[in-house]
Amino acid sequence: MLRNTILAATGAAMTAFAAHAEPVEITWWHAMGGQLGETVNEIAKGFNESQDAYQITPVYKGGYEDTLTATIAAFRAGEQPNVVQVFDAGAATIIGAKGAVVPAEDLIQEAGVAFDANDYIDGVRYFYADSDGKMIGMPFNSSTPILYYNVEALEAAGVEPPKTWEEFEAIAPQIKEAGYTPLAQSHLPWIFTENFMSRHNIPFATNANGFEGVAGTEILPETAAIEAHFDKLAAWNEAGLFGFYGAAWGANQTPFENGEVAMWLGSSGSFGGLRNAVDFPFSATYLPYWEGVTESPTNTFIGGAALFAMAGHPEEENTATAEFFKYLSSPDVQLMWHQQTGYVPITKAAYEKAQEIGYYDEVPQAEVGIQQLSLPGGAWSKGYRMGFYVQIRDVMNREYAQVINGEKSAAEAFEVIKAEGNKLLDRFAKTMN
Amino acid sequence: MKKAQFNSRWMPYALLMPQMAIIGIFFLWPAAEAIRSSFYLEDPFFGTGTFVGFENYSNVLTDPNYRRSAVFTAAFTLTVVFVSLGLGLLFAVSADRVLRGQQTYKTLLMWVYAIAPPVAGLIGVMLFDQHIGPLTDAAAAIGWNLQIGVDYWDTAVAITVVSAWKQIPYNFIFFLSALQSIPSSVKEAAAIDCRSETRRFWTVTFPLLAPMTFFLMILNTTYALFETFGTVDLMVQDQPGNSPVTLVYKVYRDGFRGNDLGGSAAQSVILMVLVLVLTIAQFRLIERRVHYS
Amino acid sequence: MTRVRLTDHLVLILGVLLMMGPLVVAFLTSTHDHVEIHREGMQFTLGAEFAETYATVLTREGGFTGEITGLLMTQNSLILGIGFAVGKIVISMLAAYAIVYYRFPLGTFFFWVIFSTLLLPLEVRILPSYEVAQQLGLLNSYTGLIVPLIASATGTFFFRQFFKSVPDELLEAARIDGAGPVRFFFEILVPLSRTMIAAIFIIMFVVGWNQYLWPTIMTTEEQYFTLVRGIKNVMQQMIGADIPFYNEALAMAVLAMLPPAVVILVFQRMFIKGLVEQEK
Repeated sequence: MLRNTILAATGAAMTAFAAHAEPVEITWWHAMGGQLGETVNEIAKGFNESQDAYQITPVYKGGYEDTLTATIAAFRAGEQPNVVQVFDAGAATIIGAKGAVVPAEDLIQEAGVAFDANDYIDGVRYFYADSDGKMIGMPFNSSTPILYYNVEALEAAGVEPPKTWEEFEAIAPQIKEAGYTPLAQSHLPWIFTENFMSRHNIPFATNANGFEGVAGTEILPETAAIEAHFDKLAAWNEAGLFGFYGAAWGANQTPFENGEVAMWLGSSGSFGGLRNAVDFPFSATYLPYWEGVTESPTNTFIGGAALFAMAGHPEEENTATAEFFKYLSSPDVQLMWHQQTGYVPITKAAYEKAQEIGYYDEVPQAEVGIQQLSLPGGAWSKGYRMGFYVQIRDVMNREYAQVINGEKSAAEAFEVIKAEGNKLLDRFAKTMN
Repeated sequence: MKKAQFNSRWMPYALLMPQMAIIGIFFLWPAAEAIRSSFYLEDPFFGTGTFVGFENYSNVLTDPNYRRSAVFTAAFTLTVVFVSLGLGLLFAVSADRVLRGQQTYKTLLMWVYAIAPPVAGLIGVMLFDQHIGPLTDAAAAIGWNLQIGVDYWDTAVAITVVSAWKQIPYNFIFFLSALQSIPSSVKEAAAIDCRSETRRFWTVTFPLLAPMTFFLMILNTTYALFETFGTVDLMVQDQPGNSPVTLVYKVYRDGFRGNDLGGSAAQSVILMVLVLVLTIAQFRLIERRVHYS
Repeated sequence: MTRVRLTDHLVLILGVLLMMGPLVVAFLTSTHDHVEIHREGMQFTLGAEFAETYATVLTREGGFTGEITGLLMTQNSLILGIGFAVGKIVISMLAAYAIVYYRFPLGTFFFWVIFSTLLLPLEVRILPSYEVAQQLGLLNSYTGLIVPLIASATGTFFFRQFFKSVPDELLEAARIDGAGPVRFFFEILVPLSRTMIAAIFIIMFVVGWNQYLWPTIMTTEEQYFTLVRGIKNVMQQMIGADIPFYNEALAMAVLAMLPPAVVILVFQRMFIKGLVEQEK
């Protein structure tokens, strides 16, 4: 009681002579557990210490879906946080809800903070942007699919890492001969669908991959190349040239770590974990492409999550959020994030800084993702914007497993994916009326 | 129906008040809201959208994969109920009979119930890991190439085993509590009348346990149907892919992960009505026959 | 006789192995290094890092505020477990008493309404539930954590069934003694329900102790962090970043099982044979 009185008195005295010095408080809901959560706390503390005007409080809200659901519930009740982290497949839900978020670019400009979208790496900036390229979400934890290879395994087989799938087909039997399963991957929708389309610059959905609106968007308008790819995967699986261990991420990564699989397609951020887990030298290179499909492969785009500024907050809080986004994008913070977590830096300046300090001489694998994201882009390599996308990925995973197990042909599977996918997109469009 | 009862105009309502108030505010209203949303396709943030009538329902009922899940769910539920009830009863009967070490057995068998669901899932995933799981190694020793997440039936087995395992202590606790409230005079009389322990169990003890068994059967059914989706999600490691999943897992996946509020609400309503009708029918058929006191 | 007892012991030993085996393995695994666990899976020997891992888990000051300690999480989980179990037993005994011992027109209807709470998971009704909690000003409070969860049916269900199996003669005898409904309830029914109360307390304490989703959604302050959320936090690792600290998650899980063990030991004393006789 007494303590409270004293606190209240001191508080009143403080505000009396320093009213303007009271920092503006904002909250940030995130889904980063474990060591990542500690890095998030570090960033927030860094921001708070860097200035006196604003205070950010990060709150760990469980997994991605827990965080998004908590945000939706809070938004409906007017209790939403200032900043929330939303994962890639949920982006259409939050961006599609007109008026739920303030576009990051508008927020920053209204606060009078300097902003240039060209500062951001190409493969990063478009994914959470609108069709005009205006950034809606601020990319946060971002990574892209790359090819990791066991150096000893390829040496034993006497081959070089493949640049194209044609090359892979040629060398795979030798790798198998050397006693390894040549290839595995950890996420069929992300790596062999979304980024397959991006790498070959093929439309993934109509309406500019869904960026230009939800009504009438149809998935996979051109399936010839991807059908051929999945028929190949099934054949490679049958011939022991490709290992398929289900839809779960880890089950496909473990055999690479155990030295059973020679090459593994995973996330550009995976190298940190791999370095702790494997006892053989490994390196990384770009996601291969089919030379028969394109001679000039384009970039891939990011997966992961972005930060969104929620609407419905007073101007001074929005200014605080804008300042936080600026702080987050600064080269030092991005470099720290990149080094501690393995996620790619989102700005060119941070990338250059990492080069300057010689980070990539030390850890060359860390650079592959950024280089791949910085490759020339095409009309269809910016990302996608589709609603109910979690369900669409579930349909893909189910059908792909059946193709690879030889239960149906790729053509049959894509018929189902298109039919169910388009139905889901149509249903999603109705939620946006 | 009990013959001896009290009569009071307001007392029963007063006694029911606390529970009904909480149910009304925190269950019935949210449930009504869920039923309403099953007729809409809504933007989750604003709750605005399109009225679609029964489209969410017809959509679910015409989906061949929904039927595939329904078949799996039925088999899964039956197996989980049967296995966990059977083992729970077996352990409870044995624990009730032994004298030496009874406390230790009871504590150890009940204790497992305390394990947090995400941890049970983690242990399950690690034990059944495709590459380094001890149970996978054990299966390999008998020539079974167990591949969770790849093979449909292997995954079904793993999900069922873990779900049933978690529920055994629950049944054990209630069976034991029922057994221990059987008056010892009844047991002694039975022991004199009937020398065979097995026959005595089936003629005296089991009929006394029948009401408990019936109730546990219903609660285990709702457990297997409604409370195992977390285990399923952990066992398939977030990616259902081509693996078997239960109907409520689909509700959870589409609604909670995929933000399809209308579609997932429609699935819930279908299940709720189905289970309620089945349970009421079961009550009509069985509760009259089970023998109270 | 002895032969049968031997079979019983055999059954129980196998049962304990089946139930406790995975937990012992989990404990053994928690004493190893997380990289080793990641590479080799579950461990069947005692590792070298027992002291270190358990000390870390117990003493670390986590979270943004540094407030999240093992003690705080245990305390919150205890509040949730006990509050949930006590609340549930009280309201469901009252409700079951009304349904079984009173003749009134809506008895069956109320029973089925209560039963229906088992049939719609919280995940489906989370948005409106949050809205209600917010309107009642229950966000970030222990009341808000506990009360919405005690709505469900299990307790009422079991007490109803138990009350029905109580012989009618008891009530008639009580009436002859001049006992009204209140005295009958407290002096006859409650003591008679001891094993049922004990069983339900154990079950409900654990359910409350293990709550995850509702606390996560409706609290935003780190002072409400529970053990299960702590475990989830350690276990959750985004794809690719690093190897999760499996050892710490499992260590927390092992520690999180100790308080429920105490509850079980305490309430097990109510499972005493012949109790019913003495009470009569």
